[in-house]
Parts: sequence; C-alpha cells; structure tokens
Amino acid sequence: MLTTALIVLPVAGALLVAALPLTRVGSAGLAFLVALLEVGLWVVAAARFDFDAGGLQLGTTREWVESLGISYAVGFYGFSLWLAGAAVIVFAAAIGYALWAGRDRPRAYHALMLFLTGAVVATFAAQDVLLFYVAFEAMLIPLYVLVGVWGGERRLVATLTFVVYTMAGSLLMLAAVVAFGVTQGTFSLAGSGTSDNTWIFLGFAVAFAIKAPLFPFHGWLPLAYRQAPVEVAAVLSAIVSKTAIYGFLRIALPKFPEPADELSVVILLLAGAGLVYGSLLAFRAPDLRGIVAYSSLAQMGLITLGVFAVDDLGLDGAVLQSVNHALVSASLFLLVGMVERRCGTGDLAALGGMARGRPVLATVLLVAGMIALAVPGSTTFAGEFLIMAGVYGQGWGYAAIVAVGIVLAAMYTLRLISAVLHVRPGPAVREETLDLRPGELALVLPLVVCLLGLSAWPALVSQSSFPGNDPVRALAEELG
Amino acid sequence: MVAGAWFCLLAPLAGALAITLAGERISRRQAGLVSTLTTFAAFGGALVAFVAMWAREGAEREQLSTAYTWLAAGDFEVGLQILVDPLSAVMMLVVSGVGGLIVWYSLGYMAGDDEERRYFAYMSLFVFSMLLLVEAGNLLLLLVGWGLVGLASYLLIGFWHHRPEAVAAAKKAFVMNAIGDATFALGLVLLVWQARTLELPAVLEEADGLSGTIVTLVALGLLGGALAKSAQLPLHTWLPDAMEGPTPVSALIHAATMVTAGVYLLVRAHPIFEAAPDVQHLAAGLGAATLLLAGLVALVQWDIKRVIAYSTMSQIGYMFLAAGIGAYGFAIFHLVTHAFFKALLFLAAGVVIHHLAGEQDIRRMGGLRAALPRTHVAFLVGTAALVGLPPLAGFWSKDAILASALASGGALGWTLFSAGLLGALLTGAYAFRLYYAVFHGAPPEVSPEPHGPEAAHEPAHGEGPLSMLVPVGALTVLSTLGGLLSVPGVWHPFTHWVSETAEALVEPSTGEDYLTSLVAVTLGLAGLWLARRAFASGRQLVTSPVAWRALEHKLYFDELYDALFYRPAAALAGALRREVEEPVVERSLDELGAGTLELGGGVARVQSGLLRTYALAVALAVFVLVLVFVAVR
Amino acid sequence: MSGPGIGWYLIVAALLFGTGALGVMLRRSPLIVLLSLELMLNAANLTLIAFARQHGSLDGQVFALAVMAVAAAEVAIGLGLIVAMARRGLPLDVDQASSLRG
Repeated sequence: MLTTALIVLPVAGALLVAALPLTRVGSAGLAFLVALLEVGLWVVAAARFDFDAGGLQLGTTREWVESLGISYAVGFYGFSLWLAGAAVIVFAAAIGYALWAGRDRPRAYHALMLFLTGAVVATFAAQDVLLFYVAFEAMLIPLYVLVGVWGGERRLVATLTFVVYTMAGSLLMLAAVVAFGVTQGTFSLAGSGTSDNTWIFLGFAVAFAIKAPLFPFHGWLPLAYRQAPVEVAAVLSAIVSKTAIYGFLRIALPKFPEPADELSVVILLLAGAGLVYGSLLAFRAPDLRGIVAYSSLAQMGLITLGVFAVDDLGLDGAVLQSVNHALVSASLFLLVGMVERRCGTGDLAALGGMARGRPVLATVLLVAGMIALAVPGSTTFAGEFLIMAGVYGQGWGYAAIVAVGIVLAAMYTLRLISAVLHVRPGPAVREETLDLRPGELALVLPLVVCLLGLSAWPALVSQSSFPGNDPVRALAEELG
Repeated sequence: MVAGAWFCLLAPLAGALAITLAGERISRRQAGLVSTLTTFAAFGGALVAFVAMWAREGAEREQLSTAYTWLAAGDFEVGLQILVDPLSAVMMLVVSGVGGLIVWYSLGYMAGDDEERRYFAYMSLFVFSMLLLVEAGNLLLLLVGWGLVGLASYLLIGFWHHRPEAVAAAKKAFVMNAIGDATFALGLVLLVWQARTLELPAVLEEADGLSGTIVTLVALGLLGGALAKSAQLPLHTWLPDAMEGPTPVSALIHAATMVTAGVYLLVRAHPIFEAAPDVQHLAAGLGAATLLLAGLVALVQWDIKRVIAYSTMSQIGYMFLAAGIGAYGFAIFHLVTHAFFKALLFLAAGVVIHHLAGEQDIRRMGGLRAALPRTHVAFLVGTAALVGLPPLAGFWSKDAILASALASGGALGWTLFSAGLLGALLTGAYAFRLYYAVFHGAPPEVSPEPHGPEAAHEPAHGEGPLSMLVPVGALTVLSTLGGLLSVPGVWHPFTHWVSETAEALVEPSTGEDYLTSLVAVTLGLAGLWLARRAFASGRQLVTSPVAWRALEHKLYFDELYDALFYRPAAALAGALRREVEEPVVERSLDELGAGTLELGGGVARVQSGLLRTYALAVALAVFVLVLVFVAVR
Repeated sequence: MSGPGIGWYLIVAALLFGTGALGVMLRRSPLIVLLSLELMLNAANLTLIAFARQHGSLDGQVFALAVMAVAAAEVAIGLGLIVAMARRGLPLDVDQASSLRG
C-alpha cells in the first residue's frame, strides 16, 4: 500500500494543483508541500523497510489485464528504494527551486513536475515489464512539455531532438517488452523466467542507453541540459537518467543473463569510452551547464561500468554512485541556476571572483564540487573505488580508465569552481551581486547535507542495496 | 592509548567544524584560538597515547580500533578504524606538535587578513586529515587522509584566490596529486582482489604470498601516490608553485608534514615494497635524483620561499633514499628532524617577509641581521641544521641515512651514497647562499607599501608579536636538540622505537657512521665556503649562462609536461568536440531528419489532392482485393 | 418466402453501387459527387436489407438505419461545405480543390 501511496500522492497532487484556482505562489507552494510530503512518505517507507531481510518489500499486486498476464505489481528492493529516495529528495529541491524562481503558468508547471515525480517513482517501483514501460513513457510527457514550453531560446530544437531520440528508444523497448511478455506468457517480472534472446535484450539495452545517456547515444544531452529550465535539467541528469540504471539492474541483467554476458564487453567499452569522452568534453565546455552536462555523461559511463562489472563490488558501487550522482548533479545544477540568475549568463568567460564577499555560495559550491570530483573520503570516492575495484575483474584496462576518469574529473571540476569563484570578478559579476539567500540555501543545503552524511557512512547504501548484501547471487536468483 | 589517539584525531575536526558553523558569530581572533587550542589538544591526545604505549610491551603496543563499518560491498568491508602503533604515535606527535606551533604562529602572521576564519578552518581541516593519514587503520582510510590533505593543500595554496597565480598553483597541485591518488587507488584495487581486505597490518602480511607481478604493480601504484604527494621526480613540479600560499601553510603542509607523507607510506607499507625490491630501489633512485636536481635548481632561485621549497624536495629525496634501502628508522628520524628545522626556516622566512611587507625576492633583501636579531639566530640554526652541521638535528639524521647507503653496499649503495654526498655539498651552497643574501650585506630599500603575493597583510615591521616568536623559538630549540634522539654508538631510542613497526634492512656500523659524518660535514662546509666566497665577490654560484637558464626553468619539466600531457589532452578534447561531438553526434539527428524529409517528398507526390484519383485508387484497391480473395479461394 | 430471389436484389445493388462509384470518379461538381456517394450508400443499404430478409433477422435492418443516420449527417456536412465554398466564390469543381496535395 505504501508503495502505491508513494506513486499516487504526487499524481493526486498534480491533479489538485492543476484543478485548484490558486494564486501563483499558492499553487507553487502547494506543489512544494506535496513534494515534501512525498519525502516524508518515503522516510516512512524506509523506516518500515527491513534492509536485512532483502527481497521485494512493500509490494502490491493487482491483476490488470488478466488474459495477457499484465498486472499492476509494485514494490521495492533495497537498491530501488534508495534510488526512489534520491528521486523524491531531488524533486522536492527542484520544485522548491521552481517556487523560488517563480516559473510562468505555475499551475501547469507544477502539475507537470508532480506528475513527473509520480512517474519516476512508479518506474523505480514497477515489478511488471508493461507497467515499467508505461511509467517509463509517462515520464516523457511532462518532460517534453517542461523543456518545450519553459526552456531557453532553442527549446524547440532541444525538445525535438529529445523526442526523436527517446521515441526511437521507446519503440525499441516496446517491441522488446511485447516480445518478452509474449514469449514468457506473462509480463510480471517476478513470474517470468530468464530469456536468452539477444535481440530482446538489445531492445531494452538501447532504450536504457538512450535514456541514461550512454556514449554514443547522447546526442540529445547537450541541447536538453542547456535549454531546459535548470531544475528540469537537474531532474533529467540526476533522476531520469537513473531509471536507466534501474532498468539495467532489474531487467537487463537478471532477465537476460546470457546476452548480458555476451555483450558486456561492448557495453563496458562504450561506457569506458563515454567516461573519458564526457570528461574531456566537460574539460573544454565553455559554459557551466556544459561542464555539468558532460560530467553527467561521464558519470553515467562510470556507473554503467559498475553495473556491467557484474560483481559484488561493482554492483554495490553502481547503486551507491547512482544515489551520489543524483544528489551531486542536482546540487550542482541548482547552484548553476543560482549563479545564472545572478549573472544572467553561464558563460565561463563572463564569470569569476564570486568567492570574495559571498562566503556561503563559495562554501556550498566548493563542498559540492569537491564531492563531485570524488575527493577521497567523500561518498562519491567510495562509489568510484567500489566500481573501480569491481570492474577490475572484467579487465585491468577498465580499472585504469576509471583512474583516468578520476584525474580528468579533478581537472574539469576545479575548472568550474575556479571559473565561478576565483580570480577577478568577470564582466557579468557586479559588486552588488548577492550571496546565496537563506531560501536558496535551504534548497541546496539538504542535498549537500545528505552527501556529507553519506560520506560519513557510505555503507548505509552500499550495504543494504541487495538482498543478503550479495548482489551477484541476488541477481542470479532474480533478486530473491 | 586508543582513546588518546581517537581524541587526537577528532579534536582538529571539531575545531574545523566549529569555526565553519560559527561563521561570523565568532571574531577572527577567536577562530584562530579555537584552531590553535584544538590542535594542541590533539597534541595532548597524542602524548597520552604515546605515554600509554610507552608503558606497554612489545605486541601490546600495536592496537587496531574500529569505530564502525565505513564502506561495505559483498563480503568486502572497510572500517573507520585507526591503528595505534609506535610509528603512528611518532607521526601523531610530530603532526599535532609542529602543527600546533605553526597554527599558533599563524595567529600573529595572518592577523589583519580579511578571511582569517576561513584560513583557520582550513588549517584545522588539514591537521585532521594529516592525523587521519597517519592513524588510518586500513589502506583505504589512509588514502582518504591522503586525499583530504591534498584537498586542504589545494584550499590553502589557493587561499588568496583573487590571485591567478595562486589559483593556478592550487589547481596544479591538486591535479598532480589526483594522479598520485589514482595510481594509489589502482594499487589498492589489486590488493582488494588479492587479499579481500585492506586492513593494516593484515594486508601487509599478505604481500609475501602475492605473485611477483602483482606485488610489483601494487608497489608501483603506492609509489606513484608517494611520489606525487612528496613532490619527487617525476611528479614534483607542483611544490615550488605551491609557495603561492601563505608562509605558515608552506611550513606546515609543504615542509613539515604533508609532503613527507610519501615517506610515511613507504615505511608503513614496507612489507609490500620489500616483496618488490625493484620498486623499492626505484624509490631510492628517484629520491637520489630528486635530491640532486632540487639542490641544483635551488642554487639559482630568487624567491626566498622557493629556495626553501626546493630544499624540501631535496631533503625528502634523502628520506626516499633511506626508505628505499630499508633504513626505515632513519627515514622517519630525518622526517622528524626535517619537520623541525624546515618549519623553523619557513617560519623565520615568514618573519622576514612580514617585516618587509610582503617582499620575497632575495635580491631586494640583505643586512637583516641588525633589524631581526632573534630571527637571524633562528634562521642560522635552521640553515646549519639543514646543511647537517654538528650537533644540530639535521646532522644526526642525514648522516645516518648516508651511512646506511654506504652500509647497504653494492653498485646501488655506492651510487646513492655518492649522490647523497654531492647533495650535501649542494645543500651547503644553496642554504648559505640564501642565508648570506638575506641577513648579510647592505640593507635594501624597504618598500613601504605592501606588495608581493602576501600583500594582503598589514605591513608590520619588526619581528612580529609573541605568537610568532614563541613558535620560532620552540622550533629553534627542537632543531638544536632534536637530533640527539639517535646518536651513533651511544644510543638509538628513536630508531629502536620505529623498528618495532618497521625493522630496518641495513644497520650501519659506528665506524661507517663517523666516517660518513666526517666526509659529509666537510662537504657541507665546502658548500658554505663556496657560498660565502661567491657572496663576498658578488658573483653567483652558477656562472655558466646556459646552465643558469636551464636551472632557472627548473630543467624544463613544466614545459615538458605541458607539451606531453596538457596540450595533447586539450587538443584531443578540442578535436573530439570539433570532429565527433558536433558533426557526428549532434548533427546525426539533423541528417536523419533531412533524409526523412527527402523520402517524404517522394511519397508526397502520390498525394495529388485530386479527389477522383483517390476514389479511383480506392476502387482499384477493392478490385484487386476482390481478385485476390477469389484467387485464394 | 415470396417475391424475387436474393440474386435480383444484389444485381440491383451492384448496379446502383457502380453508378454511384462512376459518378464519384467522373463528375466534377461536388453536388453530384455527394449525390453519387448517397447512391453507393443506398446500394449498401439495399444489400443489408436483402440479406436481413433472407436470413429472417433484424440485424441488417438495424444496420441500414444506422447507415441512413450517418448518411444524413454526412450530407449535412457535405452540403454545408458546398454552401461555404459557394459563398466564398470558390469554383464548385472538385478537381480544383486540391490543397491537400502533398
């Protein structure tokens, strides 16, 4: 029931926000309240969740289309509960940012954001392939509108690119879903067995690769991340990308062990290439969003390396790093948004020198940046180390690529920090440009505090992600 | 014992958090006091641990204490744990003791800076990180401390972040260290796969069981980290630039503690290096090469702090040399005495810079003996200790290293020995060149306006407040007496203490010891004589213009790395952007769109818009269908 | 069952349908096209009713009624369009109303 409530609450909130004739602030505030309630609900769910027992919990199953074996089956595993937790926290921060930034047509805007929240949580909870597909696609509708209506100057091109890419992925996945369900005789993830059909696996894998995105399927990324409203970009890179990781972990690996094994070299190579490629482009990107966007590409490559290490360390590391990246990327995007609002531009050449006289901005950006570059001791470092150690089992070259990624991450993140904070104030930075306001701090600080808390104890996530703290066996037994 | 060690570790962290959270609610001075007191509190904790350990015997002196499981995945677990043993106790004392003195000194030195609170928060963070590094109970936690000191170093080098040079230097230091961190992490990954644990000292006991290739790779990974952190060839270029930070930072991080972490690692992980003797010898060789190179470059530098920085590189070269031949006790001994006299030199140089309102160029210094009498004595003691003149601290520790090189024998031993002796000559020359340039000769015109990198201060002439003088005095005493902890032929309490953790591979005889000392001191005095003669005649120590230029450019390492790594990486990134990202990835969709449009154009011609053709088409289609149906039947 | 056999009905319906189809395809006046369309629909109706009578069930007749209702609606829209075209002075020629050309 709790899982259903987690899905229904934001959707109901969306309807309410859309229907009630509230003022601008009223509807945005209502949406923020719903998002906070959702976080509270998640905390209740996490408190009820028995991490030691493992397996599917908080589950609900109802027949939906009986004759075809389609059911409404939802529930959480340790790792999906963590992903959902990161999602609801990031959504609360993003909706709060939209409230603070005062988006036009707030009723529509916030209804869409809440609907997106529900769709994302449903994706993480889905235990039926068709339900997963429906939720996966339901995420796209609000995203199209949010980018297409509230985006920047080139929003239409961005939306079109995004639509074409994701539709291509979706159609492949639909075909894969149907083929999988028909050959298995049921769409239920719990009820179906494994399949050795490479084509069906590829249908899923390509859809996830586009959604993540993985190199070279990232053509939509630079435009979408630059043109979307900054909190939508945050949600895209922090949360929506993680639905692909969930798909890999819940469907692609356990349901297709043989094809996944056969094709893992290809995927690992692409992921490694994406890690280096994204890092290098982030290092040369001319604007703040470019750096964060390409670093996101690199991080998704890294996480995928962990997933396809198919090893205890790699899988736990991938989940930990997914949660980390969600929080890091969301805080960086929100901070970028705050800087952009102050200076009217994200162009690195126009920024600089903001540390002097703005200690709060400097401290928060520095902390977020240092966690982003995985300074040892941070939770991102813990995640990267696990991934590095895990993927070593697939070949020392992959571990070396991760090491190269660590160095490049230091280079591009320091570039971002220095470009905003250090040396002389750039042309867009004026003397009276403000430090972070308490309201803004209240949005970013919880994310950063979560990251610091995880840094003190990353085992919280890594230890409780898979049943019996034994990811490989759990996957082989399809998560017990 | 364990409680003292935990307290020692956590006190500076509490200080850093308190200063950060208090923000503007406490005054700048209070922030400094919090930082100083917590660091001294850490020293107290370290003392407690040390005394408790002293009272115990043998194996009981080593204790592993785990707070909780920090990271876990599958059956692999890493605890937040500390290892308290003789080696870490020594390091705790040095770090918190010297650290406390330097933080205290900062109270006077940084007074008047806009952002003192930030400075002291960073300093406390650094002390915490360094203590974490030396107390870490497993290699991953050691790497955590390793990375965090790098972070603190980055923050403090770039403390005056409005200066482009400082920011560039900070970034350079961080990236160089990130390279070291990455190789360190790779080494640990190999160990994780082989041993499934990183816990000290258990993981070290596994070293013997590993295959030769694996253990060599692990040792290389660790050595990479050590080289980067300790600014040894070939990852040394960041240290001179790091002098952009405030002088106390250079004293604490870039002289006394952080840069010697590499030596600590070599000693701590000695079973791994002993299992891979080639790598251990490589470390010794690189140390010897660095000590010569840095000594040569130091001869031509004009910046007072850069000269001392090169001498730091050079002295750490000695420590690497010692650790590389297995003289672990002497490596740590030199680490400790070096911490004393190098911190002293930096702090004394800080007084000079302070007095001259930020001037760092020794060409504009001179004759300061009269204006700064006490600092003059301190600096002279520091210089003499650096050169290794008896009975000062550096004499006992450096000569012991050279004697060990001699005792280890063979081609390698002799090469290292001669390199070390040549280094002693160079040390004498550059150290006294600096001393004469600063304290002798004609007094320069002191610019009344604050200038130079540290111009953020109020110009304050004279030797500064008590908070600066007392630490300098304390370090002067330590630099004078610190060496007496190990006197050849008389007693060896220090090396004996360290050998409980790391048994030395070579033990020089007393005869070798005194023979070496004779030669080394003679060479040091020869260096002094050279420097004095050159100073008196107004010439430089390096007269060949070609050599001068090469040394002034630090033998072109920066240029080489720029051409080898930075430019190719930047060019590759640019090329990827131009050749792949824009035309292939971004434009592929445009191409696809254009193709679809063209195809659509062809099909569209069927759509004539004439109703009758459509009707005809429908009729024909029906006709065909009917025919098909009939035929199929 | 008296009266002509089912075959006759079908022949008449086929003739009607053919006439209508030819009319749709050959005539250019929209009014006549619409009229021919009605003829085709009625041909279909005739077959429906004929078969309904043959099988002795009412289903076909019900369908025929539905078709008539749809046809009426369609004529209403069609005539409306024609009137609108006439009012705007557009030529009443289906060959010239070809803006849907691809």
